[in-house]
Amino acid sequence: MDVAEATIERPGVKRFIGIDWDFGALRTAGPRYWAFITVLLIFTLLGILGWIAFLTQGAAVMAQRDEFTWGLWFSNYMYYVGLSAGGLVVYASVHLFGAEQFRPLARLAVLQAGVLVMIALLGDITDLVRPWRMFWFVVTPNPTSIFVYTGSAAGAYMVLCFADLWVMITGKGGEKLAHRMTLIALPFAIYLHTTTAYVLALNKSRELWNTAVMVPIFLTSATASGVALLMIAAYIMQYFGVFKFKPSMFRSLSTFLSTVIIIDLFLLFVEIITVYWPTAAKLGHTERMSFFLTGSYAWMFLPVLVLGIGSFALLAGRKTRHLPVIQLSAAAMYVVAIFLKRYTLMSMGFATGTLGQYQAPYLPSLVEVLLWLGLLAFGLLFMTVGAKVLPMVEPEHGHGEMHGEAHASEHAEIVPAMVPETVPETVPETG
Amino acid sequence: MSEESKPRPDEAEVQLPEGCTLSRRRFIEGLGASAAVLAAGTVPVLASSLLADAAQASEAGEAGHTGDEVLDAIIEHDHQINYPGKPVYYADPAGDEKWAMVIDTKACIGCRRCVYACVKENNIGRESGFTYIQVLEMEPGKIELESAELHYDEAGRPDRWYMPTQCMQCAKPPCVYGCPVKATWKEPDGIVLIDYNKCISCRNCMINCPYGARHFNWVRPEVPAEELNPDVPYEEKAYVVEKCTFCVHRTRNGQTTACVEACPVGARTFGNLNDPDSEVAQLVKTRRVWRLKEDLSTDPMIWYVG
Repeated sequence: MDVAEATIERPGVKRFIGIDWDFGALRTAGPRYWAFITVLLIFTLLGILGWIAFLTQGAAVMAQRDEFTWGLWFSNYMYYVGLSAGGLVVYASVHLFGAEQFRPLARLAVLQAGVLVMIALLGDITDLVRPWRMFWFVVTPNPTSIFVYTGSAAGAYMVLCFADLWVMITGKGGEKLAHRMTLIALPFAIYLHTTTAYVLALNKSRELWNTAVMVPIFLTSATASGVALLMIAAYIMQYFGVFKFKPSMFRSLSTFLSTVIIIDLFLLFVEIITVYWPTAAKLGHTERMSFFLTGSYAWMFLPVLVLGIGSFALLAGRKTRHLPVIQLSAAAMYVVAIFLKRYTLMSMGFATGTLGQYQAPYLPSLVEVLLWLGLLAFGLLFMTVGAKVLPMVEPEHGHGEMHGEAHASEHAEIVPAMVPETVPETVPETG
Repeated sequence: MSEESKPRPDEAEVQLPEGCTLSRRRFIEGLGASAAVLAAGTVPVLASSLLADAAQASEAGEAGHTGDEVLDAIIEHDHQINYPGKPVYYADPAGDEKWAMVIDTKACIGCRRCVYACVKENNIGRESGFTYIQVLEMEPGKIELESAELHYDEAGRPDRWYMPTQCMQCAKPPCVYGCPVKATWKEPDGIVLIDYNKCISCRNCMINCPYGARHFNWVRPEVPAEELNPDVPYEEKAYVVEKCTFCVHRTRNGQTTACVEACPVGARTFGNLNDPDSEVAQLVKTRRVWRLKEDLSTDPMIWYVG
């Protein structure tokens, strides 16, 4: 009797929309946690101040101009949407492909996906001088504008992610509903990302954007960076003792990551060849691309190649790729590489204007940086509090009946954090 | 017993590494599903583009080679995209004309008088940092934008030629297709206009435009009170996109555009394509004319001759 009461009514736990919100965890949280929260709050506040400055003083506080029509907010939109879609691929692979080793990451992946799309959309809104005019999006959407598709997809996807998280936590509808949600969420993630790539690719006015390879590049970049970020997040949560994952899960993740990275680099290489091959080279393309390889824009593009090849090389080493430090560095390198890649892709549309005029590289203004950091801090705040208050750890016997028969032995179940880490054995390669 | 639980002979033999729980069958199923979704996603776009192509092809087949028929096809094209919104609030309703312009690059001396006249006429903010018209100083021997100079200091150089650019009032305007909220559209007389009170300032149209013709008011437009043109909107242009309107407030009242009026060498001709005897119609029909970035199929309504 006593035991049952204790589990149901823990102090600080409030039940709302079917979820046990553990607010008590916030009370017992250590000073380090609150220091982190305070830092995030300060940055969020600074972001709000930046937004107020933008709304009151006008668009000129941004560094964007006619020649650089879009700036940091847009490269961030591509970046966050990509990270989000990529994280979901991991979660979806649990259901679609039966990749059970990723199951412990599922809730984290979905929360991360939802929050990232949220800050992507907020970045979009905070770039508008009169955000309330957004309602025209709903009233008179233009079917020939790709913006309508990516915007609505992002909004719907965000809702879908949070609904999915709710289904996972409450267990409503069981494994079957979770499976069905994934069947919707994964194609939606791909759709969202395809439409985002099309925002660039469907412009005959911008030579370097107007290529079909943009769509697969977006999908691979998204998957790679999303998986890399998820891996980093998992390592951080493991470090703080939130939960412990099997080394095999990290090994699977890093194999997956290295595969996607090499495809991502390959697609980039394919595009560069198409730009420069003598039978294909056009002045409009070669001149613009040259700025990024050898000219004033090289500082943002060359690191993409160096970091990309570097992280692949790290993950390719058979003897070292199981080491957490190698996996973490490779993941971190690629997360940075993709950020620079988004920045480069954004700049590629503007380095030479549509009337052939060269533009110096764009660097964001103080207000844009404040907005960027503020939104990032807001997203992290959401994640940090969410991970504390929401039941992010799946109860051990919650799911798994459906997939149980074939893969039960290989489930990467959450093992208590106390268990000392075992050095993973290297897998004997066949053939 | 389900089929999946029976190990297939080849699966049983191969030692799967730890953590790899993906069966080939499930992988292929998943892959197939993803491919199907991807394919389905492209259907609407593909369908609409194919339909548009078909319409274009049938038109091209009908169009003959005589001047009048060529003009008819262009005019017909120009009518295709016309979001039937309410007429724009800052001009009279469109008449039966189809406005067009011909610019003689052989005559143009690059003096930028058209630019200044346009700025005064259209209440363009003096500190806004843009002009509707941008004159490019071109190198001889080629029409190559990459080697053109926009910020030249000396006009009328004999070793250069000059190409004024502005909104081309395209028959198939990428900006109109790209505006997410239909805040910009083509009027029946061919002019692409913007509703300043509707523009959400996303600037996607500026991305779409291949001619750098659209400009954003990053600051509130500042015009000295005595120079304000009461016929042209002013306050509402703050923080929205604007561009050349073929001086819609003048041309729909029987006047010509400010740039045509200002040109000291008569390099610009403005008129009605629907009138076969108009000067523009005659020029387009009889002279060796070309349009900027014609390969992009935007069908500009500004022709160059020279």
